[in-house]
Amino acid sequence: MKGLLALRRIQHRLYTDFDALCHMILGHAPPPALSFASPAETLKPSTPALTNVQRLFGDSILRAVPKHRRTIEKRLKRKFGCIDDFYKMLMPRTDLLTCNQCGHSYQRRHLCPNCYKRVKDETTEFQEVIEKELGLEPIEQEVVVLYKGERTKQPVEGHWNGKRIIELKREKPSWFCRNLLQRTTIGNSDSKDVQPSELA
Amino acid sequence: MNQAEVSQLVSKLRIRINPRHKNLKCPEGPQGRLNKLRKTVNALFKYERLELNYTLADETRGYAERLISEAIRHGDTHKPTMEMADYWIEEKQLIHKLFKVLVPRFNDYQTSYTMLYRAPKAYPEIVYPRSVLELRGNPFPAILPQRSDQRNFIHNVLLDEAKKAYRAEKYEEITKSLEEQRDE
Ligand SMILES: [Zn+2]
Repeated sequence: MKGLLALRRIQHRLYTDFDALCHMILGHAPPPALSFASPAETLKPSTPALTNVQRLFGDSILRAVPKHRRTIEKRLKRKFGCIDDFYKMLMPRTDLLTCNQCGHSYQRRHLCPNCYKRVKDETTEFQEVIEKELGLEPIEQEVVVLYKGERTKQPVEGHWNGKRIIELKREKPSWFCRNLLQRTTIGNSDSKDVQPSELA
Repeated sequence: MNQAEVSQLVSKLRIRINPRHKNLKCPEGPQGRLNKLRKTVNALFKYERLELNYTLADETRGYAERLISEAIRHGDTHKPTMEMADYWIEEKQLIHKLFKVLVPRFNDYQTSYTMLYRAPKAYPEIVYPRSVLELRGNPFPAILPQRSDQRNFIHNVLLDEAKKAYRAEKYEEITKSLEEQRDE
């Protein structure tokens, strides 16, 4: 029924618009069309004209409709959601922290999205290179991935002995901490300890 | 059987094991679940760092830890351990990796062999929680940034000492002024 009404409205609008258009272009109303007077039609007795909507109601069966009013709880829950489960209102978030490294905000007890993205991109590249290099042979050695020009800078002589070295063709990104693969103490130093004097 | 013998039978893991397993959505039933877990355990040994659904990652973690700890305890000459490794690892070159690379790496570890992090969520999308599972000692850049606020770092030690000296000076000043007041 709704569709029918909408159609009629559109039809009516079209007619009126057409008249307005004609008026605008031609400067007068559209020319009267020719019509034929048919004797058969004029002789017919006029019956009470049922509108389309009325006919529709007469023929059809009424479908089920709500019988009872919904409870206030149900209406409110539909409107606002449930506070524990799915709350529809906007609430301020209190679990956001600022990353100490990059300054982006991240959710508490989660990884920082910005830092993690950098690490993830690097990791996928490493993984692709390693997979390509190792292939299907049995893996019997630890793998070290080195950037360009890093091979000569090993912290201790023989640091990478017994490890399989895979070299990348680019240099280390600036965010990657340079001390990550180096030991803090390199062997025992030969220097004799000097106690500080004249303290306090 | 007493308690001591039980602890000899099963290796004690250094991660928290939930009393009940986590449900994985699996149309193929229990066998499908095992296949799924086998795939991820295999991938973990292969790639050493994975991003997974949280439940799947948590389940996988237990199986991977158990496998490594059995390998450390019994070595590669133990038949049941080898069978278990053969079942859980589908790409057979990784069995070599388990016994020849991972066992020496984790032999002296006092902590767990894997790490599980919560991956960031994209706000405001409502998504299943993701997580990052990795083997420790992997060749990739570290996931957590190095901390700059440790107490034993040299700049922090120096700042602490400076604070102490400043405070001592202030206390001296205060005591002096109090004494002067009393004298007056
Ligand atoms: Zn960050």
